[in-house]
Amino acid sequence: MRSLAARLVLSPTALITLVCFYGCAVWTAYISLTRSSFFPNYEFSGIAQYTRLFSTERWNVAYANMFIFGVLLVAGALALGIILALMIDRNVRGEGFFRTIMLYPLAMSFIVTGLAWQWVLSPSIGVQHFVRDLGFPDFTFDWVARQDRAIYTLVFAGVWHQAGLIMAIMLAGLRGVDRDIWKATRIEGIPVWRVYLGIVLPMLRPLVVTCVVLLSVAVVKSYDLVVAMTGGGPGFASDLPGKFVVEFSFERANIGQASAAAVVMLGSIFAALAPYFYIEMRRKAT
Amino acid sequence: MSVNVQGLRKSYGALDVLKDINLDVREGEFTVLLGPSGCGKSTLLSAIAGLDPINAGRIDIAGIDVTDRDPAARGIAMVFQSYALYPTMTVRGNMTFGLRVKRLPKPEIEKRLTWAADMLQITDLLDRKPGQLSGGQRQRVAIGRALVQQARVFLFDEPLSNLDAKLRAEMRVEIKRLHRELAPTVVYVTHDQIEAMTLASRIAVMRGGRIEQYATPDELYERPATLFVAGFVGAPAMNFLPVILRGGVAELGALRIPLDAYRFTSPPADGTPAVLGVRPEHVTIGGPGVAVATETLFMEPMGADTLGWFQLGAQRLSARLAPQLARGIDGAQTVALDIANASIFDQATELRL
Amino acid sequence: MSVGRIGLYIFLAGAALFFAIPLLIVVMTSLKPMDEIRAGSIFAWPMAPGFAAWVKAWSSACTGLACNGIQVGFWNSFQILIPSVVLSVSAGAINGYALAQWKPPGANMLLTALMLGAFIPYQVILYPMVKIMSNVGLYNSLPGIVAIHIIFGLPVMTLIFRNFYAGLPDELLKAARVDGAGFWRIFWEIMLPISVNILVVAVILQVTGIWNDYLLGLIFAGREYAPMTVQLNLIVNSQMGEQEHNVNMAATLLTALPPLLVYVASGRYFVRGITAGAVKG
Ligand SMILES: Nc1ncnc2c1ncn2[C@@H]1O[C@H](COP(=O)(O)OP(=O)(O)O)[C@@H](O)[C@H]1O
Ligand SMILES: [Mg+2]
Repeated sequence: MRSLAARLVLSPTALITLVCFYGCAVWTAYISLTRSSFFPNYEFSGIAQYTRLFSTERWNVAYANMFIFGVLLVAGALALGIILALMIDRNVRGEGFFRTIMLYPLAMSFIVTGLAWQWVLSPSIGVQHFVRDLGFPDFTFDWVARQDRAIYTLVFAGVWHQAGLIMAIMLAGLRGVDRDIWKATRIEGIPVWRVYLGIVLPMLRPLVVTCVVLLSVAVVKSYDLVVAMTGGGPGFASDLPGKFVVEFSFERANIGQASAAAVVMLGSIFAALAPYFYIEMRRKAT
Repeated sequence: MSVNVQGLRKSYGALDVLKDINLDVREGEFTVLLGPSGCGKSTLLSAIAGLDPINAGRIDIAGIDVTDRDPAARGIAMVFQSYALYPTMTVRGNMTFGLRVKRLPKPEIEKRLTWAADMLQITDLLDRKPGQLSGGQRQRVAIGRALVQQARVFLFDEPLSNLDAKLRAEMRVEIKRLHRELAPTVVYVTHDQIEAMTLASRIAVMRGGRIEQYATPDELYERPATLFVAGFVGAPAMNFLPVILRGGVAELGALRIPLDAYRFTSPPADGTPAVLGVRPEHVTIGGPGVAVATETLFMEPMGADTLGWFQLGAQRLSARLAPQLARGIDGAQTVALDIANASIFDQATELRL
Repeated sequence: MSVGRIGLYIFLAGAALFFAIPLLIVVMTSLKPMDEIRAGSIFAWPMAPGFAAWVKAWSSACTGLACNGIQVGFWNSFQILIPSVVLSVSAGAINGYALAQWKPPGANMLLTALMLGAFIPYQVILYPMVKIMSNVGLYNSLPGIVAIHIIFGLPVMTLIFRNFYAGLPDELLKAARVDGAGFWRIFWEIMLPISVNILVVAVILQVTGIWNDYLLGLIFAGREYAPMTVQLNLIVNSQMGEQEHNVNMAATLLTALPPLLVYVASGRYFVRGITAGAVKG
């Protein structure tokens, strides 16, 4: 059999994939349908865990935060990333320098990112302190420490971390555009911005969709950033589902609630991937 | 060593790529598999090499059933379209890899390498990497890698299709020379009919996973067995006239073309719709055959010949003319169709009549 | 230079500042003594830069009860990193090769399963994985966290290599098979030598990914092998009394340094790595 060795080599991977990814996901889904709390309890209880979850204030805050954080992060990182890519595509001098500085955040962990931004935004030592020292004693910028604003500060850090990735992906796309298109539009005398808006960006639409999907998936998975930056606080004002699940799994030990929340996360991931599948299906159809 | 394929079937999922292939290549013969791209030529070659599992059938090499053998145990060597040189090995490494895998003694490897490199005039290139070679040189190395195997059966998959026209002609001659000197059995895949006609002792024309005709180049050209073969082989292409056969006459609209000169293989029933195929060189001015009245359309000079186009009723007819003759032609023109050298196919079955 | 271009450069410079500021602040603060931080602003240049805070962060900062500095985490991360990277990249390369070049039956199914698996959030499988790991006796141990990194790295690593090997012409494998070479010989002598670039990309991706991991280390490594990111967060966020900002920031920098060095040293490969890791095919 020609592929015997290949099959042997792949069988542990297949087994691990089946057990660790799908098996565990099904296990979690199953727990979420039982009466488990501190210990797993395999007595079936329908969607009771979910109804309870969605009547827990902390979860509702965390879940809503995911959407606030998500919409702002996707919009912010996408806008900044695309603008930067367009600018760098205009043959700027020092391209290497700009690229280097825009991409280094990606090499940093979310823990480091979160801590650094926590300091930048900290009222006692960061921007507020700095501006007050400049002679504006009434200046206030204390969002990290405010119940109603903490979630927005995560967006700063998130955009800072992810915009470079979007820039790199979009720039690669821009550079891949057929040069003859640029020649043709020059001959027709079409202004550069119209070429970008009317021709080039629409050509890169699949890439933009990819970026949106990537960012959305990152949002749903977010965990370390909020741990390092706000600890989910003040109180649980900036909590996110990822943190909720980990805390309920290990610290507060309510496996039933944690599992239900994890399943909601998984559902959100699939929702975030939906545009991608849609595009794939359309591509296959044509 | 002969290569014998019987009842070979191969499918990828629901797609039947090879449908009941039978092919008998005699020892020392140069067989070309010719056909449009996607017709299953490479698949057939891979099956002979043992590179892809087959669904049914049997393959004998040198009279031995090798259907279940590994490629390396079939006594074959192969040259690929993309050359498939190992990019990180030198030419020497590329050519000797197979021999090292087979654990041949060092002196023997060296001997074969020197011999093959000499034969192909690539001795100077032995220490280079494939990336440092031109297309033609890579092609030679790929052939060299096959030569050192000293196999008696060579399989070529479109080996010249990545070369420019001039190099292609040159390598064609080179392959012909190698075949003359070493006389191996060759199965050679191409979609280029010039290559097929010039190299082959026999050509198997393939279409949609079947072999339509397996014959010498002359036979293929002069007596194509199917409408497809007739159309695929020969450039400029054969003229096809839709006719009705009735009482030894081909009716083309109001025109009656007597077919007395044509030798039918199987006499058709009256009223059979058919296709009358006449090669451009058998449409002449003042030559033998049936005279028909046409209107001159235009002339296409092609160097050695000029292709003249004529309107015959609702049909266009091309004729291969001597350039001097073509220059004077215009307006109404009587041309002769050489029926003795024509081909007639049943419209329904597309088989030669 | 036109007005438009000047505007463009101003915008780019502003953006560069936005990206640079957090790092600048952390570097500057880590070089200041605490008095200076209290008195001045974190945006000010250090008056007498010194490495005292770095030394303290490295060797005597407190993570909860123990005060051995972040060096403990550094060595833990290092011990986790080396086997995890070597094994997960090797597994990815071999899997990718087997999938793309040999196309065994079911290859496409496995590929799809891996691709979707790459999107499953860790949180969804964390609890069952903990159960499995403690059942096989690997929970809270070095081999345990290494195994976890290999398992969680499997989808992306396999996909990266699969895409690379799927891009090679099929004929290469055919030629080698006609030459009589088998699965492993073809891998070692033909495939691996042409995979240097993609190996570098994969190694970079895994080095930064595993070094920067927090969640898996927190859950699976146990106290004894807690990686640097976990220790860093302990130092900074569970400190009692007045925050020693300079020590915290020095510890942060020390944690960020290895991946930053990898980034600076690897340039274009890094970009390829993160886009490959992100786009996943
Ligand atoms: N690995 C494969 N999987 C599915 N279909 C294939 C595969 N290889 C070839 N085919 C299909 O088989 C047919 C014949 O292919 P091939 O033998 O390569 O044609 P040729 O060499 O004559 O151009 C084509 O339609 C092709 O799409
Ligand atoms: Mg082919």
